[in-house]
Amino acid sequence: MYGSQFDGGAAFSGGGFMPSQTTQAADPSFSSSKNREIQSLLPLTVKQIKEAFLLSDDKSNFTIDGVDVNNVTLVGMVCNRTGRITDVTFILDDGTGRIECNKWVQELVDSNEVEGILDGMYVRIHGHLKGFMGKRTLNVFSIRPITDFNEIASHFIDCIYVHLYNTRLRKLQGGVTTQQQMANSTSTPMKGSPAAPPHQFSGQYNVGQKNIEQMVLDFLQLPSSNADEKGVHCDVIARQLRVSMDKLMSSIQNLVEEGLIYSTTDDFHFKSTING
Amino acid sequence: MDTSNPAVFVNAELLRLYVGPRVRAVIQVLRSDGGVVTGQSTDDNQILVKGSPPSPLSKFVEVVGIADSEKSIHAEIWTNFGDTFETHTYNQLCQLANGEFKHLFL
Repeated sequence: MYGSQFDGGAAFSGGGFMPSQTTQAADPSFSSSKNREIQSLLPLTVKQIKEAFLLSDDKSNFTIDGVDVNNVTLVGMVCNRTGRITDVTFILDDGTGRIECNKWVQELVDSNEVEGILDGMYVRIHGHLKGFMGKRTLNVFSIRPITDFNEIASHFIDCIYVHLYNTRLRKLQGGVTTQQQMANSTSTPMKGSPAAPPHQFSGQYNVGQKNIEQMVLDFLQLPSSNADEKGVHCDVIARQLRVSMDKLMSSIQNLVEEGLIYSTTDDFHFKSTING
Repeated sequence: MDTSNPAVFVNAELLRLYVGPRVRAVIQVLRSDGGVVTGQSTDDNQILVKGSPPSPLSKFVEVVGIADSEKSIHAEIWTNFGDTFETHTYNQLCQLANGEFKHLFL
């Protein structure tokens, strides 16, 4: 029932950067790391992006430390801001390099967001790396002025940690993260050896195999659920997962108690703790 | 994308290694005499910062500019960082960014 109505791969295919279920099943070269890290939001320096870009032979997507680069977060100073009716472009200088950024202005909330952004301001950016004609720009989802300047050091420490994690700690764990084992401890297929890649999306939405809690958790770990800092409203979860609000709220309560998810700005928005 | 002109995270000790290139440092302002600001670096040494400081300066200021001697920076960009700042953390970052993890920054 559920599986036939909801194709996770298609619904969250984020601009073509996420492979569909069929691709994953058909392509044995698709490693477990790619499969898993597809959900990641990477804190990066411009230097890391530049280096990976040079090694990628101008392919549409590339990897850093063995992880597919999709959504990224950067901290730096805004320069050369140019505002137009439909979009705002600027250069982000994070001290390691400079990268062109572009933010589409579609709604009032977008224009309010970019109006306060001026040259010389430190900002935190969430965005998507996009390559076009050999040029790589950052397509910005969210841009926020930094008010506590400890966030700058914190960001670069994050970059170091994630780099260390992806290059060393992840390998020590044989390619299967503790996150996955933790998150999927109820589903036996996930406990396979590293040689059997955890096909996260295939079979994920089969009815009866997973309870609502697991579905909620999986949903909140999708990259699209993490695009917004606020997390996801429970109405949206209920609609996407097609479960009643009563059942959903009791599952959410359990997950909160287990520390796997948390409420954000109010009692109705939730995020997965794994994704921060 | 351009990574040809980075600004290296420095404290006073690291500043000595980078005379010439662009650097970034956070100082606690001790004195400001005209165009020269004397500040305490995150490793508790004194450095001089020249240029055109904004007014008013907050207690902690980040400067980005050229290291023109072992103990001074000619700053192009001044950013007020406010009156509280974790100098210890920043200093640790300076060391990591110039040591084991230099390749992520330079």
